[in-house]
Amino acid sequence: MNYDAIKKRFIPMSETMLYILLSLKEEKHGYGVMLHVKELTCGRIVLGAGTIYQSLGKLEADGLICPTREIERKKLYLITKIGEQILIEESKRIKEICLNLEAVL
Amino acid sequence: MKNKKIFFFSVFKYVVPAEYEQWFEELATTGWHPAKIGQFSSIAMRFEKSEPRKYRYVVDMQATPKKNYKQTYEDFGWEYVGKMASAYVWRKEYTNERPESFSDNSSLKARNHRFIVAISVSFTIFVLSTLAFLAVAIFSDLSSSERLQFGIASALFLVFAVLLGLAMIKIKKNIDK
Repeated sequence: MNYDAIKKRFIPMSETMLYILLSLKEEKHGYGVMLHVKELTCGRIVLGAGTIYQSLGKLEADGLICPTREIERKKLYLITKIGEQILIEESKRIKEICLNLEAVL
Repeated sequence: MKNKKIFFFSVFKYVVPAEYEQWFEELATTGWHPAKIGQFSSIAMRFEKSEPRKYRYVVDMQATPKKNYKQTYEDFGWEYVGKMASAYVWRKEYTNERPESFSDNSSLKARNHRFIVAISVSFTIFVLSTLAFLAVAIFSDLSSSERLQFGIASALFLVFAVLLGLAMIKIKKNIDK
């Protein structure tokens, strides 16, 4: 799939996807992603096993993350170049929203 | 007191995944737990009585699960109960907050959608069989009693097709659950 098609598919991104992608800037397994996201959001987002499995599968299939190695049967992932590009693109979009919302708060 | 029970066609009674999970959970609070879940548990499922437990049950449809599917659930503390065809049954004991496996709306919808897709496969087979039997009953040059047999078969398959169709509509209506 080309970059534009991936962009169209992932942006705007769900909160779940965004945090999983952000979390994988460092190599982690599914359970590690859940722990990291829980910490980042002060316990607000607790990702479930089914959601993690589904999301990692989708991100891997479209090349935003890639498996790196396996430790004790746990598969580890890392963000790819395309994944990072998408993450930057999405961050810019959210930043714009933040700026435009400043007047509200 | 009897400590064994068999439930027949439970899957067909609670076609909405969330309702099926609740059915398991209510039985668990009264001490009834499935002895084993396997290929034919949708037809007959054996339960055994022991201690009442507060379980969260999760059913998930995975036609082609990847190697890390089971591992991921187990990492999150889920216990594998068994699977019927491609429907996996998981459970986890809890005290306070009921744990979720599908923590956002889109992945929950995707789970329910996978059940609809799986049912649609059987639905298509039953519809095609209905039509095939009907065609034989109408257009073949068999004797009238043989035609009648094909007609009855066609009607039976139609009943199943309608039931499966209704099941899909019911899941669709509860896609957010």
